[in-house]
Amino acid sequence: MPEIAIRPGQERFVAPLEETPLQDVDSVDLSAAPESQWKEAWKRLRKSPLFWISGTLLVIIAIVVAFPGLFTSADPSYENLSDSLAPAREGHPLGFTQQGGDVWARTLYGARASVAVGVFATLFVTVVGVVTGAIAGFFGGWVDSLISRLSDIFFSIPLLLAAIVVISIINNIWPERQFWGSVFVVVGALALFAWPQITRQMRGAVLSVKSLEFVDAATAIGASRWKNLVRHIVPNAMAPVIVTATITLGVFIVAEATLSFLGLGLPRSSVVSWGNDIAAAQVLVRSGQHLEVMFVPATALAITVLAFILLGDAVREAFDPKARKK
Amino acid sequence: MWWYVGKRLLQTIPVILGATFIIYALVFLRPGDPIAGLFGEKPVNEGVKEQIEAQYNLDKPFLVQWLLFLKGAVTLDFGNSYTGRPVIDLVSQAFPVTITLALMALAIEMVLGIVAGTIAGLRRGGLFDSTMLVTSLIVIAVPIFVFGFVLQLIFGVKLGWVDPTVGGDWSVSKLILPAFVLGLVSFAYVLRLTRTSVAENLSTDHVRTARAKGLTQRQVVKNHVLRNSLIPVVTFLGVDLGALMAGAVVTESIFNIPGVGNLAYNAIKRGENPTVVSVVTIMVLVYVLASLLVDLLYAWLDPRIRYA
Repeated sequence: MPEIAIRPGQERFVAPLEETPLQDVDSVDLSAAPESQWKEAWKRLRKSPLFWISGTLLVIIAIVVAFPGLFTSADPSYENLSDSLAPAREGHPLGFTQQGGDVWARTLYGARASVAVGVFATLFVTVVGVVTGAIAGFFGGWVDSLISRLSDIFFSIPLLLAAIVVISIINNIWPERQFWGSVFVVVGALALFAWPQITRQMRGAVLSVKSLEFVDAATAIGASRWKNLVRHIVPNAMAPVIVTATITLGVFIVAEATLSFLGLGLPRSSVVSWGNDIAAAQVLVRSGQHLEVMFVPATALAITVLAFILLGDAVREAFDPKARKK
Repeated sequence: MWWYVGKRLLQTIPVILGATFIIYALVFLRPGDPIAGLFGEKPVNEGVKEQIEAQYNLDKPFLVQWLLFLKGAVTLDFGNSYTGRPVIDLVSQAFPVTITLALMALAIEMVLGIVAGTIAGLRRGGLFDSTMLVTSLIVIAVPIFVFGFVLQLIFGVKLGWVDPTVGGDWSVSKLILPAFVLGLVSFAYVLRLTRTSVAENLSTDHVRTARAKGLTQRQVVKNHVLRNSLIPVVTFLGVDLGALMAGAVVTESIFNIPGVGNLAYNAIKRGENPTVVSVVTIMVLVYVLASLLVDLLYAWLDPRIRYA
C-alpha cells in the first residue's frame, strides 16, 4: 500500500488510484509517479496465480522443446514393427505406437514441431496485424478503406479450407520438404488467412487511443505524427492484441493437429508431431483398443494449448482489472 | 432500414469479388496440367485436349477465366467438374446436408452455451461456474477430432445408441451426434462469452434499478440482463455459421457424411478446380449473408441502434 496524501481536514476513505471509479475517490495517491499501462499490468500479473501456473507450464514446455533428449534416451524416429503396440518396458515407459515407435519419446520430440507452428504463425499474424491495423486506424482515409476491405476479403474465406487449398498446392510444387520447410508451409497456410482478426482489433484499439488526451499532450510538446504513433499510441493499444495473440497461439497448435488429421499437416515421413501421432492413432480408437496411444500426445497438446489460453486470461485480467472485480 | 440493407449488400460485392479472385488465383495458378490427369495412362490426344481446354476456358487468360466464372456464378451456373457433371448438381446434393448439420450445431451450441453461460454468470465462482469453465477450457484445448472419435466410440460403437457413421441416406436424427461434435468448440466460446457478459451486466445501473422496482429475479434476468448480454453472443454466432460450415470438413470425414466439406476436401485432393472454387464461393456467401443478418439483429436487440 503506497503512502497516500491526505489533504488537511480530509479524513474520509481514500482509495488507491487503480481499480477505483473516479467518483468514489476523495483524493488520489500523489506521491507515486504515474506508471505506464505495461508496468501496472506487470505488477498485477506478478500477483496472479493463473500467471504463475501457466508460466511454469510454459517453461517446462520450452525446456522439452529445446532439449527433448533430457527426458528420454529412445530415438523418436526409430520404428520397429515387431514392437507394434507393445506394452511399456524398461526405457519405454508408455509403450509403443502401431508402427512400433516409442510413445513417450515421440510425444517429447513432437512438442518442437507443434509449438514451432504455433509460435511462428502467431508471430507472423501479430506483426502483420499490428502494422496494418495501426496504419489503418491512425491514418484513416483511403489507406484505412483499402486495409479494411482487404481484411474483410481474407476474413470471409474459411481458414481451414483455405489452409487445405494452400497446403495441397504447395505439396504439388514442393513435395520433398524437411523439418523447417514443412513447418513454415503450415505456418504460411494458417497465417495467410488469419491476420485480419488482429488487424481489426488493432485498428479499433488505435482508433480509441488516438483521441485520448495524452496523445494531444504529446503533439503539444512537439512529437511528430510517426513518433506519436510508434511511441505513444501503439504501446497503449497493444493490450487486447497481446491477449488475442496468446489465445490464437493455442488455436494454431490445434489447427496444425487438425490439418495433420486431414493428411495435410506436417508430412509424417520427415516430422514427428503431436498432430501426426494423434492422427495415426485414429484407427486404434475406431476399434476401441489401445486408446492410450492417442491419449498421450493428445494430452500433451491439450496441456500446451491450455497453458497459452490461461496465460492469455491472466494477461487480460492484468490489463483490465475491472473485469475480474465484478 | 431498407436503405441500410441495400448499402450493406453493395458493400459485400467487393468482398465476394476479392474472395473468389484469391481462391481462383490459388487454385488455377498452381502448376500441373488438370487435363493431363483425365487421360490416365493413355497418350494425350492434342485435339481432344484443346477441345477440353476450350470447354473449361483453360485456353483463355486467367483474368478472363475468372470473369467467365463470375458471370456463370451469378446465374448459379458453376460450370462442369472435370468428370463432366455440373458442379451445381454436386453442390445441391451436398449442401442441404451441411447446412442442416451446421444449423443443428448452431442451435445446440446456442441453447447449451447461453443456458450454461447464464447460470455460470449469475453464480460466479460457484461450483457450476468452475465446472463449466474447466469443461470449456478442455473443449477448446483438445482437437475436435479427438472428441469426435471418442464420442463415436462411446455412443456409436460401445453403447449403440446412434449409428457410428451417417453414410449416403442421411437423416436429422443421424446428424445429432455429429452436430454436437461440430458445435462443441463454439459451445465453449458461447459459454465463456455469455458468462462474462452476464456477470458484467449484473452490476450495471439499469439492473439495480430493475431490482429496486421490485422485479423478481426471473424478470430481471430475462428482460434486463440477458437481452443486453446477448449482443456479443449474437455477433459470435453470426460469424460462427460460416466457420461451422468449414469446420464440417473434419466432422464429415469422421462420421462419413456426404456434405459440402467432404465434397471440398475430395475436390482439393483430386485437383477438381471448378468444384473447389464453387464450394468456397458458396461458403463465402453464407458467411457474408450471416454477418448481414447479425447486423440487422442488433437493431432488434439494442433499440439504441438505428439504421438510417
